[in-house]
Amino acid sequence: MIAENGAKDSDILLELEDIHMAFGKVIAIVGVSLKIRKGEIHSVIGPNGAGKTVMMNCVNGLYRPQQGNIFFKGEKINHLKPYERAKLGISRTFQKVEVFGGMTVLDNIRLGRHIHLKSGIVSGSLYMGKTAREEIEHRKFIEEEIIDLLEIEHIRNKPVGMLPYGLQKRVELGRALALEPELLILDEPLAGLNLEEVEDMARFILDVNEGKRWQVTCLLVEHDMGVVMDLSDKIFVLNFGNTIMDGTPEDVQSNPEVIKAYLGEEDLYATRR
Amino acid sequence: MSTTFLPCSVYHENYAQDHGWWQTTFITGKMILLAVVLLGVIPYFADMYSLSVCNQIGYTILGALGVQLLIGFCGQVTLGHAAFIAVGAYTSTLLILEFPWPKILITAGLAYPISILVAAIVAGLWSVLFGLPSARVKGFYLILTTMAAQFITVDFIITQYVSQIGGRGQAFSLPPGTIKIGPWVIDNDLKVYYLMLVLVIICVIGIINLLRSRSGRAWVAIRDNDISAEVMGINVVWYKLMAFFVAGFIGGIAGSFWISNLAAISPEHFPWFWSLWLVGVILIGGVGSIHGTVFGSIFMVVVIELLQLAVIPLADIYPKLLIDFLFIKEAAFGLAICAFMIFEPNGLAYRWWQMKNYFNLWPFSY
Repeated sequence: MIAENGAKDSDILLELEDIHMAFGKVIAIVGVSLKIRKGEIHSVIGPNGAGKTVMMNCVNGLYRPQQGNIFFKGEKINHLKPYERAKLGISRTFQKVEVFGGMTVLDNIRLGRHIHLKSGIVSGSLYMGKTAREEIEHRKFIEEEIIDLLEIEHIRNKPVGMLPYGLQKRVELGRALALEPELLILDEPLAGLNLEEVEDMARFILDVNEGKRWQVTCLLVEHDMGVVMDLSDKIFVLNFGNTIMDGTPEDVQSNPEVIKAYLGEEDLYATRR
Repeated sequence: MSTTFLPCSVYHENYAQDHGWWQTTFITGKMILLAVVLLGVIPYFADMYSLSVCNQIGYTILGALGVQLLIGFCGQVTLGHAAFIAVGAYTSTLLILEFPWPKILITAGLAYPISILVAAIVAGLWSVLFGLPSARVKGFYLILTTMAAQFITVDFIITQYVSQIGGRGQAFSLPPGTIKIGPWVIDNDLKVYYLMLVLVIICVIGIINLLRSRSGRAWVAIRDNDISAEVMGINVVWYKLMAFFVAGFIGGIAGSFWISNLAAISPEHFPWFWSLWLVGVILIGGVGSIHGTVFGSIFMVVVIELLQLAVIPLADIYPKLLIDFLFIKEAAFGLAICAFMIFEPNGLAYRWWQMKNYFNLWPFSY
């Protein structure tokens, strides 16, 4: 999975170049640069308040960095709004689940297909011919590719707001996948899950990243060191807005600065197990 | 509460069946029965008074549909919907009275249908204009900007300027025979009733279809969580404005329908209280439900009519009741909303859903 060091630039899916972001006088991230290659799982770790989520929000357009450039597939996307970036193929899940509570699981995932659907106000209100066919085609996709993958058949008609947290996280992943993204940002997908759900979710992430059907590049923010070390191809360490290092899991584990800032002196990265 | 359980032994073999409107023959039968009642039984047996109550219900449904779309499905709280109904009514009236229609269209009876369409579009665009602040403001602040729509449109523009067109004074009266669709002159409650049925059915079907296609889902997503809606590729501002357009469009249809029932229209037909009333209708019926819109409309109109019937005999004993009826009506409105907020915040539609599920799952309700 890891691209060789000498790989050419077209392999780079997302590139952050010297990003600075401050809220008033609170400086969130300082001069962060990051390159994500196609097919990687690239993790971002760091203590709370390090600026990980700010970085994610910069990538998908919820925040505009004051300085620096963001390139997606070689194109500069600084000026694009979140929904325009979604059309390019950037999808994400949130740290605190942000599902559409009043809609059913199926409708949540259908909503993820929004950019692939074509009907408008007039054709939608008539719901004939093309629109009806389109809905059925996409339903087929959702059932066969997503609901089947994530094993949520039994809850497909339940309103998401009534589901337990673990399933909401799974629905959120399903919704993000429905977009058929090239880059999937996972902001703490394992937070608040029990051990079994963590294992399931890690398996889904691997399926999505390695499965022939998907091959989605993942940008993962996570505190569970065991999972991060196991899944990631590359790890990026952030501390109070500053880059500490960017390297393979082995390098990160042996880096004294990382240990000092985040991992701790003891063997803490296996906390959950 | 969006989906009901299917009864035992009913299952689907393909997605088209699952997407279907009427999934069992029982439901199809029920809908045919409803059509027979609406088209045959009610007009045949009802007297003119009951028909006028039905028309009032239809008008309330048409008005409340737009409010339901904005508040219940798109989460944009509006308190100025009467303004868009007024725009529809006035556009339609002015077109009929002032527009130099070619003779051919008048004799073919197309002037009124065309004016309905134009009125709907004008009201929709007018609504978009007042929906523009929704790009920036949410919640309570948006309520105030939509209230501004009411006061600017009805109390200022329509009363001060539009009403003066043609020098007719405050009220525009429509000469008999001007409201004509094809060969039919709409001149009694029965014909208004049929017109109402056609318009209500078209609008309800249109909204239901919208809600199960791309735009409707985008609206509901914006209601539930606008940030993640935007991240999932929805142009939030565009879809909010679309919601305002469709709501105004249906409001325009409601307004231009209502002129067929009124001999004359004046700004007093569209007070701010009517906007508030429509919000009350959807609160009682159930926010976020098309059934709720219909149930709420029926409930509100029928309760007020029953109150009126109750007040008339009592007035012999205590004559002041008749004079005070307007206030009794408003008090009943307030009380009904309080009662529903406390005892059934999900509205009548929720009760309907519970009932349906009860019968679908009977006798094994677990």
